[in-house]
Amino acid sequence: MKRTNKIYTALIFVFLYLPIAVLILFSFNSSNSTNSLAGFSLKWYKELFSDGATLLALRNTLVLAILSSVIATIIGTLAAYGIFRMKNKHVKNALLTVNNIPMMNPEIVVGISMMLLFVFVGRLVNAQSTLGFGTVLIAHITFNIPYVVLSVLPKFKQMDRHLPEAALDLGCTPFQSFYKVEMPQIISGIISGFIMAFTLSIDDFIISYFTIGSGFETLPIRIYSMTKKRVTPDMYALSALIFLSILILLLISNFTGNSNNAKEKKPVTLKQKKTRRIVIASTFAVIAIITGAVFISTATTETVVVNVYNWGEYISDGSDGSYDTNKAFEEYYSNVLSEERGHKVKVQVNYTTFTSNEDLYAKIKSGVGGYDVIIPSDYMVERLKNEGLIQPLDLNNIPNYKYIKDEFKKPFYDNGKDTYSAMYTYGIVGIIYNTKYVDEADIGGWDLLWNEKYSGHILQFNNARDAFGSAMYKLGISVNTATEDEWRQALSELKTQKPHVQSYVMDEIYNKLESEEAWIGAYYAGDALSMIYNNENLAFYYPKNEDGEFATNIFADAMCIPTGIDAENKEHAEAYINFMLSEEPAIANAEYIYYGCPNTLVTNNQEYRDYLGEDFDVIYDPDIEENIDDLFSNYAYRNLPADKLALLNKLWEELKVDSSSFGGGIYIVSGVIALAIVGFIVFSYVVKVRRRRLYWNTTPKTK
Amino acid sequence: MNKKTLIQKAAAAPHIVWSVLFIIAPLIFVMYYAFTDNEGSFTVSNFTELFQASYLEIFLRSVCFAFLATVICLVLAYPIAYFISRANAKTQKILIMLVMLPMWMNFLIRTYSWMALLEDTGIINTFLGFFGIGPVHMINTAGAVILGMVYNYLPYMIIPIHSVLSKVDVRLLEAAADLGSNPFTVITKVVFPLSIPGIISGITMVFVPSISTFYISQKLGGGNFDLIGDTIERQFQTAYNYNLGASMSFVLMLLIIISMTIMNKYADDDGGVII
Repeated sequence: MKRTNKIYTALIFVFLYLPIAVLILFSFNSSNSTNSLAGFSLKWYKELFSDGATLLALRNTLVLAILSSVIATIIGTLAAYGIFRMKNKHVKNALLTVNNIPMMNPEIVVGISMMLLFVFVGRLVNAQSTLGFGTVLIAHITFNIPYVVLSVLPKFKQMDRHLPEAALDLGCTPFQSFYKVEMPQIISGIISGFIMAFTLSIDDFIISYFTIGSGFETLPIRIYSMTKKRVTPDMYALSALIFLSILILLLISNFTGNSNNAKEKKPVTLKQKKTRRIVIASTFAVIAIITGAVFISTATTETVVVNVYNWGEYISDGSDGSYDTNKAFEEYYSNVLSEERGHKVKVQVNYTTFTSNEDLYAKIKSGVGGYDVIIPSDYMVERLKNEGLIQPLDLNNIPNYKYIKDEFKKPFYDNGKDTYSAMYTYGIVGIIYNTKYVDEADIGGWDLLWNEKYSGHILQFNNARDAFGSAMYKLGISVNTATEDEWRQALSELKTQKPHVQSYVMDEIYNKLESEEAWIGAYYAGDALSMIYNNENLAFYYPKNEDGEFATNIFADAMCIPTGIDAENKEHAEAYINFMLSEEPAIANAEYIYYGCPNTLVTNNQEYRDYLGEDFDVIYDPDIEENIDDLFSNYAYRNLPADKLALLNKLWEELKVDSSSFGGGIYIVSGVIALAIVGFIVFSYVVKVRRRRLYWNTTPKTK
Repeated sequence: MNKKTLIQKAAAAPHIVWSVLFIIAPLIFVMYYAFTDNEGSFTVSNFTELFQASYLEIFLRSVCFAFLATVICLVLAYPIAYFISRANAKTQKILIMLVMLPMWMNFLIRTYSWMALLEDTGIINTFLGFFGIGPVHMINTAGAVILGMVYNYLPYMIIPIHSVLSKVDVRLLEAAADLGSNPFTVITKVVFPLSIPGIISGITMVFVPSISTFYISQKLGGGNFDLIGDTIERQFQTAYNYNLGASMSFVLMLLIIISMTIMNKYADDDGGVII
């Protein structure tokens, strides 16, 4: 290669490997930041091996990849055989075209089309939960089969047609002829198809994202939910390890394996044949053992599964040595059940997270979930209750319910005869700003989020209700009884804000404010305090209106049980809720989440008060505590009537697709390039025609 | 003989059943949802809704972004694929392995890593800061989204072009040179036409995922550059409007089928390539 060529090649490789280098570098970072280095440490590697959820996700990913690629390889190889032998050309072509669909279709369409099928069938048979391991397995097999077919089929075509015939003439049964004669010739195609299927399955995110349900999380899905708030460097550590092992594998296969060319020239010795057979046999044996072990481990002990669906960063999860709530429940409840039933019962909490009430609603409403415990906010509890999507709690099974403060026992969203919810936390929306960049004179109200001075450093909620809420509090419109005109007013307010907004975020706000990438954002008070703890330049306030009155959202999140689960699961769910209300987990969660806690076991606990220190008076502001009923009735979101909900969805859609912030430069550039390409094609065609006329005096044949 | 044909026929049966259940049926459901309202009665309003200016702009934007990403990928990938194909067999193998290696790492985390690089307080700007430059605003721009697409799908362009180029007979190039072509003409008149099959499959493999992506635009565009993928994802995961989402998917499928047909037709004229 020439020197400039080498430099160019090197530059492309720098581009390809830059983010991977960053990732490996930051896996050794001693702080949890993913954009500034603090020092060298191996703690994230240690953390990784104690992070149960990540390891479980890794295991799930491997199990899914092995199962789906094995099944796809079997079906695909048989199909290739059948297609190859097929006499009817039309059928053959039709099959191949259908086979190509999953590869040609965008992944998102494959994902949603399967989701629609599953949801529809799930409704038809009235299943408790539609999406889960089974559906994601079916999806993976579906997109794996075409790759297997396409890598095996050419091997059949290359094979001498007369060989199997000769075998049959010599007395082989069709099966023997397939196994002894055809198989050895297609095995390399099968193996490469299998490897292809395996890697596609391991890396798949988009199709899994639409077909996965509660209780089963793969690594890419876990990474996705992490990138919604912050990716902890232990995920970087895992990626670095994966990268390293693949690199080593590839290097070994590259340097020790005899290259393809050599293989063709030299006849294969018996010994080589034997070793090859042993290698193949042992690979399949390992796969079989792993799959077998997984099945046995899940089948031997009776396992009780509780599927919990909660907000992100909303439970004490054992990180940094904190209390691991779900693990504690598993142990506690496993003991309870084992004693009750007289044999060992394993309890498993499948914990998954959502980022907005609307996400939760979409999951529950479509019936795909299979969730046992969900934790929506006030207005969503009301909506789910009105639509019959959650069921009354049996308070006899939740004795700890009595510890909830009386004023929170019959909150506005759930004050009927039955009790549908047990309050988990409550809090107020405040505005967080960076004192280094933001002028103190500008703070006080919601207009800080509209202040052009800070254009490009403002964050806005990425959910309809909160985003519209911010505009309505600013304009002094009631968030619950606004007319259509008022909703539209709020929309135009948000549209004027859009050019100044850096991005629409939910839990990503932590990283953006702490790294000072953004300066201003509205979020929930407890989270604001944790951000201030991580970056002292941050401060926050409760926004007031022009008359100096308090004007912001107060909210409560509560534990509920969806309808449709059977009586036994409901009991487990109630046991979970009861556990969450008991002293140790309640305190651990309150300390972790940093929101207001309605549980008297927590608020009366001296250790907890000491832990919060000065923050206690911020979270449990005496002014707020005194008027809590008033605040809830005036400032909390209520469920909206159906027509307003539809309007809100429509307006949100309008805001999201509004493109006032986008210039036309890109269109012009693409247009010019497109014209140039079309021009080139026309030009080369004309040249071709002319040349043919010149030399052969003919025109090009049209096909 | 009868027994044999039976086995041969039966061999494809699981695949046929599977395809009907999990490839054809889901697509029928997409159509069903696209042409019904949420009570299940027939309507075309999902499509008329898409004719609003704002949705048309999303389609236009997605097409433009994907188109630019594809063009940039092609421009970047062609030279490197050519250089690699001219190296000796062993180097070729290693270099191609290095091109493929990043694809084995999860694309979400690699894209997230780009965020850390591009942010105003990110690594590149910190680095530039040492030289007193910047900060250069890069993230949450159209450029960042296109960069994300180019980064993620560049290997899909390099590999097919390389595999075609590595099969080009060197003697052809020598013959062209002997007949008086300069190196530039050899590339434009001999190498390039021979590599069109690779280019076509590279374009498909970059264009299709680019036009339907949603993660890249969310992370690197800050939610300011909604693409078709984002809008579809929102209908299914947040807005609970399956019907609108299905109709958008339907249009997306049509868009892709149309562009592939046009491209295949052109490719057919030139060398008879079917992807």
